[in-house]
Amino acid sequence: MKDDLAKYGVSVVALSKDTVEQAANNKKRDGLTFTLLSDPELAVIKQYGVEHHKALEFSKGGFTLFGIPLALVPSVKRMAIPTSLLLDEQGVIHWIDQSEDYRLRSNEQRVMEAIKAAFG
Amino acid sequence: MFAIILSVAGAALVVLTWGVYLASIPAGKVPVRPVGSVMLQCTGVTLALGGVLHWVRGADAHAAAVFAPAGLAVVMGGFFLFLLSQRKTPVGDIKVAVGDKLLPFEARTAEGFDFHSEALMGQRTLFKFFRGAW
Repeated sequence: MKDDLAKYGVSVVALSKDTVEQAANNKKRDGLTFTLLSDPELAVIKQYGVEHHKALEFSKGGFTLFGIPLALVPSVKRMAIPTSLLLDEQGVIHWIDQSEDYRLRSNEQRVMEAIKAAFG
Repeated sequence: MFAIILSVAGAALVVLTWGVYLASIPAGKVPVRPVGSVMLQCTGVTLALGGVLHWVRGADAHAAAVFAPAGLAVVMGGFFLFLLSQRKTPVGDIKVAVGDKLLPFEARTAEGFDFHSEALMGQRTLFKFFRGAW
């Protein structure tokens, strides 16, 4: 995938609500080489209108017994809807890919087809 | 004894289906229509409830041995089905369209440096919003 992208001169930049520390850990853990951006206040995510309001999060809290959490407290977690934008050298958007089902991510074939259509 | 077997089998099926589904995520093989997972989850919950029913009808088994696995199956199976019912993302609020220019923005990189969208000018970019590490 990386080689295919390089052939068309496309670099990857990915942004999420993770803090700088979380993004750094993510990058290290998964051995990512592309640019990861941190937007913990969701400023950019809101600016683009790709905020997901419904996602659930379970945090440790509420009842603990000897430091062991007995209950996880559900709350709404604010995060981005998985979205891909393909940009040219002038910053013009050539393709937008959004998943209607957050379980499913953009896939390699779709991305490469869009890149070929735009720059091929 | 039959009540216990039903409950344990139901719980095992639910946990196993969870495991298989979760393993499909890092592998990038999440099923588009998770029919199999849903059917297995429902079967697991039904088995567990069958175990409870059997116990209520006077099966000779320890209550906890029936209710603990049955409870696990119902909670985990129910949670799986609930999460699946929430899978649709509310798309349509996006503020940009094809042909538009990138909206200028600022963020910070994983290395802690300031980043301005100006840095994307002069290069082709696949700009992705993602849900973050988990």
